Amino acid sequence: MVFILGVSFHEGQLVKKALESFYALGPTTSARIMAKYSIHNLAKVGSLSPKTVTSLTAELSQMSIESDARRQVQENIRRLKDIGSYRGRRHAMGLPVRGQRTRTQTATANKLNRVDRRA
Amino acid sequence: MASISLRSLVRPSLPVAPRIQPIIIAAFSTTSLVSAAAPPAIKNRKDLPKKTKKTYKKKQNIVPVKKPAPGERKAFRKRIQLSNNSALPVAGLDALEAQTMARPESSGRMFAVPDEVVDQLRALEAFKSTQTWNLFRKPHVLVRKETVELMGRLEASLEKKEAFKCVLTGSRLSGKSLMLLQAMSYALLNEWVVIHIPEGQDLTNGNTEYSPVPDTEPMQFTQPVYCLKLLQNIYKANRAVLEKTPLKQDWSRLSATLKPGSTLADLALSAKESEFAWPTLSALWTELTQPGQPPVLLTLDGLAHINKVSAYRDPAFNPVHAHELLLVRTFVDALSGKTKLPNGGAVIAATSQNNTHFHPSQELALSQLEAGQAGKPVPKPDPYERKYDDRVYDALKNSTVMRLEGVSKEEARVLMEYWGASGMLRSVLDSRVVAEKWALGGHGIVGEMERASLITMRM
Repeated sequence: MVFILGVSFHEGQLVKKALESFYALGPTTSARIMAKYSIHNLAKVGSLSPKTVTSLTAELSQMSIESDARRQVQENIRRLKDIGSYRGRRHAMGLPVRGQRTRTQTATANKLNRVDRRA
Repeated sequence: MASISLRSLVRPSLPVAPRIQPIIIAAFSTTSLVSAAAPPAIKNRKDLPKKTKKTYKKKQNIVPVKKPAPGERKAFRKRIQLSNNSALPVAGLDALEAQTMARPESSGRMFAVPDEVVDQLRALEAFKSTQTWNLFRKPHVLVRKETVELMGRLEASLEKKEAFKCVLTGSRLSGKSLMLLQAMSYALLNEWVVIHIPEGQDLTNGNTEYSPVPDTEPMQFTQPVYCLKLLQNIYKANRAVLEKTPLKQDWSRLSATLKPGSTLADLALSAKESEFAWPTLSALWTELTQPGQPPVLLTLDGLAHINKVSAYRDPAFNPVHAHELLLVRTFVDALSGKTKLPNGGAVIAATSQNNTHFHPSQELALSQLEAGQAGKPVPKPDPYERKYDDRVYDALKNSTVMRLEGVSKEEARVLMEYWGASGMLRSVLDSRVVAEKWALGGHGIVGEMERASLITMRM
């Protein structure tokens, strides 16, 4: 078990996968982080030196990921709602925001479009 | 009248014409009606017959099987099998000796690879799983015209005290890797130190660890894990030579065990951790390039992969050219003649046609060299091509290009006789069959001939 930013990862897991498991950390960012610490593509979490793990944690703690990123999204939606825009209203109603039809197939909108968005 | 009314109360039976078949009022039975079990009484909704949903899912037939351990399947796929007890031993073929392959009279003959050399070659990973070693009792090699030529050049390099730099190229399955193997066997038999990089791709596809070298501009990288493995392979294969060669310089800064009287073997063994692998390997290479040390054969398969931009990125996320990887650079410097080999020796790179990509500069450089050797007009670069790489040209410009194509019909016959003697060729071997397989094999491309004649034997 290796702890990166307080999250425990199995030793056999790929570093790339482990990094991308954080919210708002995608392939581009993970590739850049790995290049910064010279971690190769197939590196497993268990093969990282303790020093690298520490610096990875330090690096990630500087970035706006997980709850910070979620809060940003929520703030953006709340701003839309507060200025009373159409998009804000659609978010509040849980309906599609970008002009999609609402007769059928609005499951994703129902799930995601809300003012206090979680995912 | 009463009977009719009663009849109307019972369940309607099949309408049967009474005159054709009499109606059987009571079925023949020896048990009384009372003894039949009464259906369960329905007291509430729970007792109602339940509708079972029909599932169309396949029933999983779970049989407890042991799954292969991680890496087991790959190990099976990549295994090297060098003997086959079902094949007949071939009598009357000599084993390779130190100078056998360099002699012109060996041309067009099969030779057995001696067992100790087989072990060394195996340690160097010279055998490939795609080659058909598993069909025969013992590894044998055909000494071709080109083999004699190459070994002659290797021999000459000793007298000239200068490295023979060579690129092997040619059609797919024409035996380039096997030629490397023959060069390695020659070198091992003559007590050279052999360093072999089995696959150039492994170094540049970003699948092995890398670490930057501080204070280099542009940034250079070492590959610690790969270097450690390579160092161990070098030790395993060249143990006898390394153990009797003393060190010329003082390397005590690398390891406390290295004293003035230590040998190259001690140096190779001093790296226990990947962290120290590259300094040790580089020290070993420095030692081997000192005058008075044994000659060195440095080989690499899959040249195109070490001439491209690698899959690695530097800390600023710029792509890293393969020549910035220090192990690759060591090879390239030796191939370009920047590093001299004062004891003679050779640097041989083989291109691969199976595992390769289109590489304009390499193609151009090789075709220019080849044309220059043959005295033909040298091809010009394509003015519309933008992807030429000067570093590749610089790496290759001092080397000799050796092209391998099909074997001659006489050599094909010798090879097929060996197949026949091993019991792998069912048909009667006459000149017609030889000519047929030779033609089917693209005018004697050995791998294609194997496909045409031995494919049924291959597992």
